[in-house]
Amino acid sequence: MIVKYFLKVRWSLLLINKLIYFIIYLFFFSNLNAESYVRAGESLIWDSENKNYTANGDVEFKNDRFIAFADKMIANYVVEENEEVFTIIELFDNVVIEFKDELFKGNYAIYTRNDNIIKLTGEVSIESPTRILTGNELIADIDNNKRILNSANNESTVEVLLENNAND
Amino acid sequence: MINYLNRKIINLLIIIIFGFQCYIYYSNQKPLTENFSKKKITVENFSSIVLSNSGITKIGSEKLNKVDDNNIYLEGQSYLENKEYKIYGKNISINLLKEVSNSNDPVEVINKMGLLKAQGFKNLDYDSKIFFEGEVEFVINK
Repeated sequence: MIVKYFLKVRWSLLLINKLIYFIIYLFFFSNLNAESYVRAGESLIWDSENKNYTANGDVEFKNDRFIAFADKMIANYVVEENEEVFTIIELFDNVVIEFKDELFKGNYAIYTRNDNIIKLTGEVSIESPTRILTGNELIADIDNNKRILNSANNESTVEVLLENNAND
Repeated sequence: MINYLNRKIINLLIIIIFGFQCYIYYSNQKPLTENFSKKKITVENFSSIVLSNSGITKIGSEKLNKVDDNNIYLEGQSYLENKEYKIYGKNISINLLKEVSNSNDPVEVINKMGLLKAQGFKNLDYDSKIFFEGEVEFVINK
């Protein structure tokens, strides 16, 4: 009788333990799939007629792909299934984009959601753990993991393909 | 002689009463309209609808103060709600003629994109633009 009672209590404790682990897992999982957001230090203007948002001052934008920082951002959107979805995002001045272990810098950037391409212009640079490349235009094709860096002189165009396991 | 005096007194009384009535009529006319237009109306736990450029907007507050014919002030916890957005804030001023509303107090907005928090806002309804001031955080729906 005592053994049976002991096993019952033990089983209940195990169940509670697993439940707690499951709740903790859910908590961390929800944090890993962190939310998308726009933060602005000075102001944000919502123009519902022209379907865009303009953020000013220490702007931070995060989606499921990258985090971008700039002085100003204009984000255009469309309404799909009664929800607003960003389609084109323009970033102005002191643009920094963090994408995985890469850092893109430039004076202006435009991201198009349809093809998942970020195009930076101005004094651009691409920094990864192993290299720093500079130029005047950077096209980052996120889906195809391809970067095209152009310099002011068209003849010295550099194309860099980054492998996921690149060590050099 | 007495009849003559009585008639005179009655006529005099009629003239005085008539004059008094004229005075009452005159004094009731002008000041009444002035007082009415200047009067402030306050309503507690108020909700109503306003027709504007963006359609029907539902407004509500803990206390509504009518400043004048074109301006109302939503005192305390207040909201503006229409098909595009829900604005929840405090102490919101509304100009019905210019279709402008604003507040300098923290505000939360829910729209089709997500949840926005700001330190204040100015809604130019006629221009379909809302300016959010101060630090703004806009959390986007998944």
